[in-house]
Amino acid sequence: MSVNDFWTPFALLPFLNALIIGISLISIWLIAALGLTIIYGTMGVINMAHGEFIMLGAYSTYVLQTLIGIPFLLCLPLSFLILAAIGWVIERGVIRTLYRRPLDTLLATWGLSLILVQGVRLIFGGEPQYVGVPSWLNFQIQADFIHLSGLRLFIIVMAIVMVAVTWFLLYRTTLGICVRAVMQDKEMAASFGIDANRIYSLTFCYGAGLAGVAGSMFGALKTLFPDMGGGYIVEAFLVVVVGGVQLAGSVLSASLLGELNSIFSYFTNDTFARFVLFTLVVVFLRIRPQGLLAEKMTRR
Amino acid sequence: MSLLELKDVTKVYNDYVAVENFNFSVTDGELRCLLGPNGAGKTTCIDLITGRQRLTSGAILFAGDDICRLPEQSIARLGIGRKFQVPAIFKELTVEDNLEVAFSRKKDPFANMMTLHRSYGQKRYDEIVELVGLKDRLSSQAGLLSHGETQWLEIGMVLMQDPRLLLMDEPTAGMTEQETMKTSEIFNSLKGSHTLVVVEHDMSFVREIADIITVMHMGTMLAEGTLEEIGNDPRVKEVYLGSEGLG
Amino acid sequence: MNGNIYHNRKAQWAIYLAAFAALALLPIFFDSPFTLNLLARYCVFALLAVSVSLVWGYAGILSLGQAIAFGLAAYGMAMTMQMQYQDPVSDPIPSFMLTNELETLPLVWAPFWSTPIGLILTFGVPTVFFIVFGILMFQARVAGVFVAIMTLAMTAAWYSMAYDMQPFTAGFNGISPPLPFQIFGTEVDPYSAGAYWVCVAFLAVLTLGAKFLMQTKFGLIVQAIRDDAERARFLGYNVAYYQVVVFALSGFLAASAGFCWVLIVQYVSPTSLEIVFSISIVIWAAVGGRTSLLGAIIGAFLVNGMQSFVGDELQQVWMLILGAIFIGVVLFLPRGLAGFFELVLGLFSGRREPQKSDWNTGRTSAVTKESAE
Repeated sequence: MSVNDFWTPFALLPFLNALIIGISLISIWLIAALGLTIIYGTMGVINMAHGEFIMLGAYSTYVLQTLIGIPFLLCLPLSFLILAAIGWVIERGVIRTLYRRPLDTLLATWGLSLILVQGVRLIFGGEPQYVGVPSWLNFQIQADFIHLSGLRLFIIVMAIVMVAVTWFLLYRTTLGICVRAVMQDKEMAASFGIDANRIYSLTFCYGAGLAGVAGSMFGALKTLFPDMGGGYIVEAFLVVVVGGVQLAGSVLSASLLGELNSIFSYFTNDTFARFVLFTLVVVFLRIRPQGLLAEKMTRR
Repeated sequence: MSLLELKDVTKVYNDYVAVENFNFSVTDGELRCLLGPNGAGKTTCIDLITGRQRLTSGAILFAGDDICRLPEQSIARLGIGRKFQVPAIFKELTVEDNLEVAFSRKKDPFANMMTLHRSYGQKRYDEIVELVGLKDRLSSQAGLLSHGETQWLEIGMVLMQDPRLLLMDEPTAGMTEQETMKTSEIFNSLKGSHTLVVVEHDMSFVREIADIITVMHMGTMLAEGTLEEIGNDPRVKEVYLGSEGLG
Repeated sequence: MNGNIYHNRKAQWAIYLAAFAALALLPIFFDSPFTLNLLARYCVFALLAVSVSLVWGYAGILSLGQAIAFGLAAYGMAMTMQMQYQDPVSDPIPSFMLTNELETLPLVWAPFWSTPIGLILTFGVPTVFFIVFGILMFQARVAGVFVAIMTLAMTAAWYSMAYDMQPFTAGFNGISPPLPFQIFGTEVDPYSAGAYWVCVAFLAVLTLGAKFLMQTKFGLIVQAIRDDAERARFLGYNVAYYQVVVFALSGFLAASAGFCWVLIVQYVSPTSLEIVFSISIVIWAAVGGRTSLLGAIIGAFLVNGMQSFVGDELQQVWMLILGAIFIGVVLFLPRGLAGFFELVLGLFSGRREPQKSDWNTGRTSAVTKESAE
């Protein structure tokens, strides 16, 4: 980069393409943030290892696909199950003892992420690995201003599917009512016979599973490194925080942040866009600390 | 002259009206009880006076000045102290340090960087410690106090502020009978020298301390008067006291 | 006061002074330049841990962004040292800029021609940044995990800036000033006892200053705000103001660490702004005990000493060990080694204060009250 070509002047067609790249970015951030939203929203647990869950999802897809030969589409649900199982173990082992100490959970899960990154590095080595993209996704949509790969289109569709499924589970099933009850008031829910701990376990498993699916797709999109999870975690957290820790809020904030990011990147470059976006988020939270959608006040 | 005056105060949350056209005034040196069933808007009123929530319309005057736009700490500095419904104390500090934090008139961080001494031994400090009966507990961690002691500690902290007006949100909640008795003694000794507004449910406690009672219902004023007048008011009996009356 | 000697102020000051005296005397026993340099690095890490202990242990603000102040100061110092080497006439711009097609010195670099201005910027820019950032966060009453996330995001943003702005920062390669720092006509050899003593002096003076501050009424109020910000606000304190002051102080401490760092390593790269590094500082403080400044220092020495001891071949396993230590400390020793020490001393003292097992539930509720859930 040289200083002179820092600023890209406006031109309609490339700009439209930037907006479409933005949609792809939205889907990626949303998928990464979905599990976090559910886990933080329900349990109040900041899972710093969420990025590493995504990484594990990618590596499990790699193992399933390359070493066992399972087709890509089948790897998605299998990654979900594997990560849900890992999530269950972690919830039982570490998270459960820290429910009333959110800051400590944040730190403990960060310690966990160190272990997961190093563990994977020891097993698979530090060199990059690849998840093969199935042939039926090997197409490009090419028009005047649209350049979109089949895989990116698939991820956009999957983002919609995952949000829809999560929405359905939360708002249209008995289990979802229990989850939302625990979310609002744990003690009250418990007095109605809801086993809050079981709900927490299930939520954490589901959130981890979502990270697994995310990992499968991100693995196909990019190269696999043991520390690839770090590349998603900050953006995912910002989506959650700006959205006000709500499903609809996360969708909205992912859309906003994703588009803003690609517009900034269009005019300047990726890194500078990131800097501006993060600063904007800090300023935004100054004005609306409760996020885009949430409004709540504790009684005392 | 009234120390505190609420004029047509209204607070609306989205579509729920918590307080509506509420008028209320307290004169200097008075002890006023604020009564009402759950959801009547009592705590909301306290929140509005202390700046924890912003009112939708109306005005709140303290010693003649409009305070409804000031931030919480400025309202507190004008001389309004507040005890929360759920006791709020500094759990990891000792009882002594809790009271110390409340005692200071200096609020500026840089001024306080130069202050090393503690207030123990000063007259007003010792009097308050004596009054709330925590003399033997001064070096305990506040988080280890019993529920009643926690309530007294918070009352003590509010007194340390030396406010002109004390707002007490359910000071006897969760107390045993003996503890409630002791609390009413504390309050009776404050009468006259301090202006108090006490939100309470416990009728025996209200009987012990009250001069004038204001009854709230559905966010509006239902009745105001002495204990006797309120006890005989048919509307109060109907909405709040039920068939029991004031006994 | 209760009988536990751990809480005795005179005993505390005696231990602190003894610890720093011991640190200052170390060059008598280790005269290998390499060892001295290593010890100086530990002192820098210890200073960072102290900054975390101040802001997190005392003020309850979990800042994952201490690396921002450290890194900004480190870049400032490296730029100052680089410009000491450049010559206005014969060699006006650093060589890495030439390879990045820059023909004139960028405007942000120009003030560093002057060493005093460079030093002022080294300490001033990070501190001012922390003040502005602090005002943005604390006036909005951001608390608890939200502070952690925002400071984390900010760190990530600065990291990518340092990494990507190659013509200004030399990108991934970093800036390595060819000559040691010159001041008052002398050269500070990074491997000398002098450089080590500079680091110890910074550590000692700033730690003792912070210790003193936490014993004043200011420190008491800061801790009260940690426990229940709303209560403090209704007692008439401007909570945000106090938080900004503590946050800025911790930023200044971290900036001092950044200054010392470049003084003794003569190099800076984006790694000093990395998230992993930033959170590692929190680990050191947590291991030593976040509510004790000396504990934080011991934690930094212990963890980093262990890392050096483990050696190069086992660096892979080291991260596993570090992660495990961290989870263990958080689960079983939430007040770190200092808390353990407090407990043991309490057992020996006549009057024993019962330890509250869920000691930080108070903080948890303060967080939920404050944070915009």
